Amino acid sequence: MQPGELLKPGLYSAAPNDRAGATVRLKGGRCRCGYFFFPMQTYGCERCGSHGDALTPCELSADGTLLAEATVHLHADKNRPTPFTIVKVALDDGPVIRTLLAEDSAPVAPGRRVTGRLAPVGQSESGETVLDLRFSIAS
Amino acid sequence: MTRSLNELRPVYVVGIGWHRYQNPSETPYVELGLTAIRAALADARVEWPVVESTYVATALLGMASGRPMLRHLGATGAPLMHVENASASGSTAFRHACIEVASGISDVALAVGVDKRNPVRRPDTCLGNLAEDAIVPFTHFALLTNEYAVHNNASTEDIARVAVKNHRNGAKNPNAQRQQERTLDEVLGGKRVSGSLTSLQCTPIGEGAAAVIVASEDGIRRLGIDAGRAIRTTASVGRSERVYPPGAGFDAALTKETADLALAQAKLTPKDLDIIELHDAFTVEELHYIESIGLCPEGHGVRMLKDGALDIGGQCAINPSGGLIAMGHPIGPTGIGQIGEIVMQLRGEAGPRQHRGARIGLAHMVGVGAVCYVHILQR
Ligand SMILES: [Zn+2]
Repeated sequence: MQPGELLKPGLYSAAPNDRAGATVRLKGGRCRCGYFFFPMQTYGCERCGSHGDALTPCELSADGTLLAEATVHLHADKNRPTPFTIVKVALDDGPVIRTLLAEDSAPVAPGRRVTGRLAPVGQSESGETVLDLRFSIAS
Repeated sequence: MTRSLNELRPVYVVGIGWHRYQNPSETPYVELGLTAIRAALADARVEWPVVESTYVATALLGMASGRPMLRHLGATGAPLMHVENASASGSTAFRHACIEVASGISDVALAVGVDKRNPVRRPDTCLGNLAEDAIVPFTHFALLTNEYAVHNNASTEDIARVAVKNHRNGAKNPNAQRQQERTLDEVLGGKRVSGSLTSLQCTPIGEGAAAVIVASEDGIRRLGIDAGRAIRTTASVGRSERVYPPGAGFDAALTKETADLALAQAKLTPKDLDIIELHDAFTVEELHYIESIGLCPEGHGVRMLKDGALDIGGQCAINPSGGLIAMGHPIGPTGIGQIGEIVMQLRGEAGPRQHRGARIGLAHMVGVGAVCYVHILQR
């Protein structure tokens, strides 16, 4: 079986053949000033304004601490059927990110340790499983 | 050397007007805007040709919407410009109208906000994101509600009481979109939106217009405007989001630094404030922002709310207009409508919503980006 196709390969990566998606790393960046950010960009550092060579790609761990969660009951975009849960996570490597909670995750609450994994979210035209980042309670 | 607004020549609000905020309708924006402007001109008892400059706040109408509206007042050739600053568009237009008059470039300027509900188009930075399409504003604030509730041990009921108060205030405001009192059970029992937020804890989608006319002392004298009804703008501050320390939410931090600068500019403390109109698009914001403005320590907002300290007639009336939750939030008009409400209150003309003895009011808006604007008005 193929390892699956990443929905947003510009934002995260996983080791080949990792079907469980547990080795996911976020494609962040680091500025010469020490500021970590996500996603990687070369426009300039939000903290100090440096750009170009001052900004380098930096893989970030998908482990973090939950800051907040909200289950959405009403959403206009039919591509996102409700309910789904949004989590706000302070990554151990610095940046705060917001994304979806895995559908099979145990309930979360602020302060809990969470971790990002790749989860199947559909099929590509060529029949491959499409994987996207989802957070769940750290095991 | 630079100067703040209150170090320039004094600037006063001399006229206020609205087109009621309402559910989306067939009424053209031109009619909404003209109704508010004509009401403000009538309130100031001046004619349109005395207006030397116009700032049109609008976020959703499309390019160059001002002139097709203003020409129906008689095309005087006076300059106009459009201001788009998300939810803070109206507050920003007001700030620049004040600056123009305070600087001496004009004696009389108009800030008018008008909007109808249209699809919001956001810019494409070409940076990827994980799931921003799934995180609309009410979910941003549902996350903030969860954080606030956990940090401060506040219950869903505690936070929902903000909506009960603001619907009560809005019920007495003929310009409000929602003019119906609601019980705590009604607020909590409404349609669930996101997290613990229910529909009556969220600002409604709507349309409307608000206008204010500002003038210098020279203008007031020359035009014979009633100086007794003129309310001075004693502080104006605009800020945008910085990088805050890890763990610090930008919403509260940005409001705190903007409000601190405005209070310092007017040489006031939070205790001096009689009235605050603030950005309560979602209930939790009101608690966050009164704490950020410094009305009480962090986490004490619920107690003030339950004690009635934030009611009309309480220690400091918060959102006597009904706020964004009840009066509504048609985007462009909102920040200008807040100024109008404070002026009405400081004149003592707010009728059944009057907060007795009101002398000092603060208007606060945030807009996605994030930006924050704070104005202080004094009798
Ligand atoms: Zn930097």
